[in-house]
Amino acid sequence: MKLLRLFLDIHPERKHVRMILSTGVKMSLFLAALFAFSIIGIRAEAADKENCLMCHKYRQIGRIDEQGRKRSYYVNENIYANTTHRNVPCRDCHTYITRIPHDPVTEEVNCANQCHIKPPFSKENFSHKKIIDIYNKSVHGIKEEDSEELKAAKPYCKYCHLNPIYREVAAERIAPTTLLRCLNCHDKKGVTQAYKHITHRLRRKTSRSPQEIVELCSKNCHEDVEKMAKFKVSHESLEAVETYKASMHGKSVLLGSQDSADCISCHASSAIHDIYKKDDKNATINIANRAKVCEQCHEGVNERFIRIDVHQNLEKDPILHFAAINLTFAFYGSVFGLLGLALLETIGRKKDGIKWQIRQGTTWRGVSKRWLNKYGPKQ
Amino acid sequence: MATISEEISGSAGTAELEGDTTYVEGVGNIPRNIYKHVKSDPLGDLPRYSVHIVIQHFVTFVTFLVLAATGLALHYSGLWWTYYVMDLFGGPDTARLVHRISAAFMVLASVYHVATIIAGTLHKIIKKEFDIKRTQIPRLKDIQDAIHDIKYFLGKEPYRPKMEKFMYKQKLHYLAILWGTFVLVTAGTTLLFPETMATIWPNPQFAQNLARLMHADEAVMAITVVVFWHWSNVHLVPGRFPLQWVFITGRITREHQIEEHFLEYLNNLREIPEEREYMKKLLKEKGFETN
Repeated sequence: MKLLRLFLDIHPERKHVRMILSTGVKMSLFLAALFAFSIIGIRAEAADKENCLMCHKYRQIGRIDEQGRKRSYYVNENIYANTTHRNVPCRDCHTYITRIPHDPVTEEVNCANQCHIKPPFSKENFSHKKIIDIYNKSVHGIKEEDSEELKAAKPYCKYCHLNPIYREVAAERIAPTTLLRCLNCHDKKGVTQAYKHITHRLRRKTSRSPQEIVELCSKNCHEDVEKMAKFKVSHESLEAVETYKASMHGKSVLLGSQDSADCISCHASSAIHDIYKKDDKNATINIANRAKVCEQCHEGVNERFIRIDVHQNLEKDPILHFAAINLTFAFYGSVFGLLGLALLETIGRKKDGIKWQIRQGTTWRGVSKRWLNKYGPKQ
Repeated sequence: MATISEEISGSAGTAELEGDTTYVEGVGNIPRNIYKHVKSDPLGDLPRYSVHIVIQHFVTFVTFLVLAATGLALHYSGLWWTYYVMDLFGGPDTARLVHRISAAFMVLASVYHVATIIAGTLHKIIKKEFDIKRTQIPRLKDIQDAIHDIKYFLGKEPYRPKMEKFMYKQKLHYLAILWGTFVLVTAGTTLLFPETMATIWPNPQFAQNLARLMHADEAVMAITVVVFWHWSNVHLVPGRFPLQWVFITGRITREHQIEEHFLEYLNNLREIPEEREYMKKLLKEKGFETN
């Protein structure tokens, strides 16, 4: 109350008091506005010219399909408006929808479609076709000669790009204050959009941390030895995850390193999707191309160095196996031998009449009973 | 102090002093068990290590701890505690850098040590003071000493063996350190400079694998030996507890010198007049004839 009275206590001759009042009123107005905005929020808007969200905005929209699984068709506009595809109208990907309300969806989305978005400085509509072509040629692309089982096991776009361990890009979102600096020169709309789309990719070679990449490649796939064995992969490939995790690259990445090599640092070029078997001449790890891969981190790469296989199982080499056994014997032999010696000495010295105490000149406080009994003069 | 000396002379008794004695010119007959009756300064009475050795030990000691902390966490990467160690060092990339810098300092200390040993030995040879018995070079006597000592601790020998400046345990450890340093530095260099070393080793793949195996194995062994043996010998064994100051002062206590390095003590008597006087006085106190 006292404070309020101070504000309201206007005296015509005390101008500075009036100023306090006016500042106070302005402040409270501003705070009220800020509070109101924070409650209401500013709605993120996605490209939805055809108003698909009229139905899909309802949280409960969904059904139980023929296999008895619950399917949700809810689209959270706020989430969608922050994704890479926020400017792509729904039907650019879901092309099979021709009328509204639409029939049950049976088709998968084709990422190679052209959408009605023209990238900057380009006259053609955007499409993921180029990267999909690269991907289809790679070892992960589905080939005609593949068995049905292998075809089903091969990852497709959404396997990686919608994988829960791989989806959250927002973790590394840029501070809004950083963005404000760009607006000194650039238009807001373009900058924010380009920024959200590009920046997380600019930070490193890929937009994902090495830990995410390793987890994505190994989990449910390459670390599943039984599954991989069905596809008649090479011996090296079968134990690749295990040998990687035992290598210095793998150990560093496991502990959180951002600089060490992950799977695609070596197995793919900047196109990320061009992974081939090592005998294929397109493979980055093919002996003809391997120097380039190593050179990304190692200096002074030479012909002999690139032939060192980093996916080595140390236990498989007979000489190393023999060496390891001998070292184990030497280890336990010396540790237990020396411990025995130290124990013998400790007990011996205790019996010898030495006190286990902080020394003040000498620690020989007691009588060596052992010595007296055995060699000393008879009392 | 009076109470302490009374306590010593009262409790230990002089009966033990009869028996094995060693005659020293200008001092007298020194009983083997005299070490139970001498006065000792915990900070050390007699010279043992030069300042160079103290510095080398200190550098090795500090870098060893850092190398062990970073190396173990990197080797056992993925165990729950390794993440805490990595946090402490600022992530694996920094930890690896710290490991390399520490390793460089340790190699520097090793080089310093070798230089000290060579220069010191040459100096002694020129002055005609060199005595192979006072070095770390193993002799047949060390095996005999070891057997003798084990017998003593089992109660089958009346006295501890008369040993030189470096006893069998220390020689064993020194040899282990020589071998360990050689293996760790060679393997570590192969791991740190794989590109250059690939041009040097006849079989780069095998060298790399062997280096990975040996560096880790040898390091774990070194850590285990230091923790369970070296530390128990210098800290925990009764009479050495809580620690010996020799690693800082470079001086050994009289009691310890006579007990474990009796022959070196005889050298001390020969070289240090004050020590001769002290021993003469003590023998007179205990009722041994002096000349």
